[in-house]
Amino acid sequence: MIWIILIVIVLVAFWLIGIYNGLVRLRNTRQNAFADIDVQLKQRHDLIPQLVETVKGYATHERELLLKVTQARTAAMSATTIDEKIKTETQLSTALQGLKVSVEAYPDLKANQNFLQLQEELSDIENKLAAARRYFNAATTEYNTGIETFPSNMIANNFGFKRETMFDLGQDRTTLEEPPKISFN
Amino acid sequence: MTYVGIQTQIRRNNFNSLLLIIAFPLVLLGMVYAFLYFTARQKDPQIINDSFISIVPFVIIGTAVWFIIAWFFHNSMIRMATGAKPLERMENKRVYNLIENLCISKGMKIPQIFIIEDDSLNAFASGINEKTYSVSLSRGIIEKLNDDELEGVIAHELSHIRNRDVRLMIISIIFVGIFAFIAQMALRSLQFGAFSRGKNNKNGGVIILVAIAISAVCYLIAILLRFGISRSREYMADAGAAEMTRKPYALASALRKISQDPLIEAVQRRDIAQLFIENPQPEDKKFSLSNLFSTHPPIQKRIQLLDQFA
Repeated sequence: MIWIILIVIVLVAFWLIGIYNGLVRLRNTRQNAFADIDVQLKQRHDLIPQLVETVKGYATHERELLLKVTQARTAAMSATTIDEKIKTETQLSTALQGLKVSVEAYPDLKANQNFLQLQEELSDIENKLAAARRYFNAATTEYNTGIETFPSNMIANNFGFKRETMFDLGQDRTTLEEPPKISFN
Repeated sequence: MTYVGIQTQIRRNNFNSLLLIIAFPLVLLGMVYAFLYFTARQKDPQIINDSFISIVPFVIIGTAVWFIIAWFFHNSMIRMATGAKPLERMENKRVYNLIENLCISKGMKIPQIFIIEDDSLNAFASGINEKTYSVSLSRGIIEKLNDDELEGVIAHELSHIRNRDVRLMIISIIFVGIFAFIAQMALRSLQFGAFSRGKNNKNGGVIILVAIAISAVCYLIAILLRFGISRSREYMADAGAAEMTRKPYALASALRKISQDPLIEAVQRRDIAQLFIENPQPEDKKFSLSNLFSTHPPIQKRIQLLDQFA
């Protein structure tokens, strides 16, 4: 009788350890997924000073926007945790998007070879960033589902697994993806 | 979680690979024993067992050496057979961008990329581990498909890598290759042996029969292997590609274009041809057996299924 109870206890213990390890694995996958994003973010940071320099020469009226981009970059670079990075990088994306729209008003700039190349590089990075974000969000969803479903949620609560944020561009993005409004009066 | 189908496929493929690796030496040893038993002059189990045991180490070492060589050099062998050359990033940024974006969005390591200088439309994936995984594309497929279609094709190949289909295929090709080699050796030695041993006609006849029987068994095993590696992997890879790109119609239209001209003139070997996205059959299709033994499901069916996704 004692043996049966012991065996049951051992089996349950193994089962719980398995669930715990599964959760740790999910959390690590999510963190590794963010490393992919970080690579692209870093490249974007490296590209921005050049971009700002180039735009400055042509778009003299956009000083404010350029300042916003530079500040957003500085803020993004000093972010350390994943949550901070998500927040600051989203702001940087918004600022860049704003720059992209207003640059449309400077045909000389758009003819500049250097600018065209920078823009191409930037859009390449943005594409990769979107891909990396998809993977990161899939990993985050899997992790969040893991800590919220029964029975793993009981272990998650006891060992401090917290629900994590996704990296979506939020509300700003939806307004940005609408084409700019043009009026002819 | 969301990819239950693919996870199951990965598990099944890993299991099948393991099964193949375990089953193969056993089948081979069985064949050796059968050969010894049927060619022995006296049916004394003691003598047969002794000679069997003395041969076993040679057989095992021989296959192990072959397998190790094939395991490490299959990539260069396939590259030689298909005439694939590495594609540089500078040379074709478009292909690199497509592959990198797909890989990043699935958290995969980026495979090596090769190009086959051929105007036809075809592609294949190969490799057995993260270091050797590669995707090869023909010049024709890169130039004749638009971005979305090419992305679909590449996603299909990446799904094969993700599902571990390629590893299972490579292992089975290596094994079928060993069997084919043995069968050829048996026939060859028979040609020479039959003449030199003319004085002992009765025994020569037995050896001929045994060699023929063993060749038949080899061929049967090869066929069984092709069936064992189920054809559903193509549908799975198509579905995986649709899920990766979220553009099933693009892959469908790519398949439509590919079905016009899938023949890669440079590749004649059938065992390698089964790796491609579409396995071309040069002979006329009236012969229904060819459909039974083909490694790929009919392309029309695949297009139809993809259209249902869209």
